[in-house]
Amino acid sequence: MRPPTFARSLVICAATIVLLLFLEGALNVVMAQNPFGAPRPSGGELQVGGIVGWLLAKQSEFYREMSSTLRAAKSDGSAVWTLFAISFAYGIFHAAGPGHGKAVISAYLVANQETARRGIVLSFASALMQSLVAVVIVAICAWLLNASAKTMCGTEKVVEIASYALIAAFGARLVWTKGGGFMRALQTPSPSLALAAHHHDHGPAHDYHDHGSHVHDEHCGHSHAPEPVELAGPGGWQRGLSAILAVGVRPCSGAILILVFALAQGLFWAGIAATFVMGIGTAITVATIAVIAVSAKDLARRLSAGREGRGAIFMRGVEFAAAGLVLLFGAGLLFGYVAAERVTCF
Amino acid sequence: MKSVWRRIPGLLLLLAVITLGPSSVQAHPHVWITASSQLIYAPDGSLSGVRHAWTFDDTFSTYALQGIETKTKGVYSREELAALAQTNVESLKEFGFFTFAKADGKKEKFLEPVDYFLEYKDTALTLHFTLPLKSPVKPKELALEVFDPSFFIDFKFEDKDAVKLIGAPAGCQMQMQRPSDGTANAQKFSEQSFLTGDNSNYGAMFANKITVQCP
Repeated sequence: MRPPTFARSLVICAATIVLLLFLEGALNVVMAQNPFGAPRPSGGELQVGGIVGWLLAKQSEFYREMSSTLRAAKSDGSAVWTLFAISFAYGIFHAAGPGHGKAVISAYLVANQETARRGIVLSFASALMQSLVAVVIVAICAWLLNASAKTMCGTEKVVEIASYALIAAFGARLVWTKGGGFMRALQTPSPSLALAAHHHDHGPAHDYHDHGSHVHDEHCGHSHAPEPVELAGPGGWQRGLSAILAVGVRPCSGAILILVFALAQGLFWAGIAATFVMGIGTAITVATIAVIAVSAKDLARRLSAGREGRGAIFMRGVEFAAAGLVLLFGAGLLFGYVAAERVTCF
Repeated sequence: MKSVWRRIPGLLLLLAVITLGPSSVQAHPHVWITASSQLIYAPDGSLSGVRHAWTFDDTFSTYALQGIETKTKGVYSREELAALAQTNVESLKEFGFFTFAKADGKKEKFLEPVDYFLEYKDTALTLHFTLPLKSPVKPKELALEVFDPSFFIDFKFEDKDAVKLIGAPAGCQMQMQRPSDGTANAQKFSEQSFLTGDNSNYGAMFANKITVQCP
């Protein structure tokens, strides 16, 4: 078989990425049409076009229902179950919104040789961490110290900046490692790349246990393919932990508002439970997107495999680009170029 | 080798589109404000300022009241809320008070707010404040928009007596467009602009637009 050209593989990969883009859009359509068997509302109250407007309207609706249900739960205990159901739905919808979480996690998964399973675990861990941070902030500031909204907001801002700095640092570390892998792939003459892939690198990349260089033989049917266990080895979880920290440390403003409201209603426990249920909903959406990202990369990898040096260069390039994106994203958030959900301070 | 390098920016862009593009536009409001406004005219018939009364939704009101000590539980006097009102107007400055005025198409600037205070009634806080125009204007057409470009706050004007003209010259006509009117703004927002990720002025389609035409 004639080996496909590099240009062709690029086209295939570009197509994959575009496909991914539409998949996310399609996911939104599916969710919009049938979230929980609910029919699409017919025109009328829809102000903004199509799916986006509908998503927005739903989010606002769920969000507002959370506080009204909390109020109702004061006199009627069974309303708590409604509250949990709404919180779950809100979490699912909200994660489809402006979240640096899913962007960073997806880019991280693409930059590393991550499995879909790890993507799911990372999504859940970071979403639950996010819930935990919101609960801890409100518990300490509002419940224990009875601090004012201004103080609480100040705390939120500090945590937010720290979180962005963490993402940027995390991205910088990824760029450093992936840049190395990419440069090596570029410098290695094509015929000997298969050989190069067999030796372990002891450069800075070693921290990350860069499995990237194994990909080539893995897909060329060589015998030195890494075992799945090795891929998610102990070192792997450690670096996964930094992803969870970077993404999960920044709480959602909505959760904080709801928690303070619950505290004022004397139903702090219900607010805490609702926050975690919300986190599970968020995790489901983020995990879905993460799995799509991993599958797209797998597809690209399969398409570029067996293409000697160039395929490897291309994959290292994709990883490097994804690492760069995490860095850009972190820096963008830190310096305000990327708009995130605003912290309520007024 | 060169071709690989040349394609890196393209790859970055594509990845950026995936992760940022469709995601960043779907903000939803966390704070709801029910507004009513007065346009204040000077004796010579020029517009001197805008007086707002913004009522926050009860979740945000509760949040804002967190940690404020009062003599009687659940009752907040104007004095007890003075510090919070101060914080409110200071923070709103960063967002241009979400009030955007144009006199005959020219952007007008506002000075620091005056006569501001908070009122607590029926579990909701209302912020009253006056924004004086930097230089009073006497335009044929005045356009005033109230909205949050990032749509963190959803502004809705009162159903009745949303906008009043105080001391306006005879013959001035006031019109108001609400975002739910299905106005041109909202229709412009298509799935296409959603995909391009251009959300720089995303909240504009939820703007409340007040137009005053004077002879």
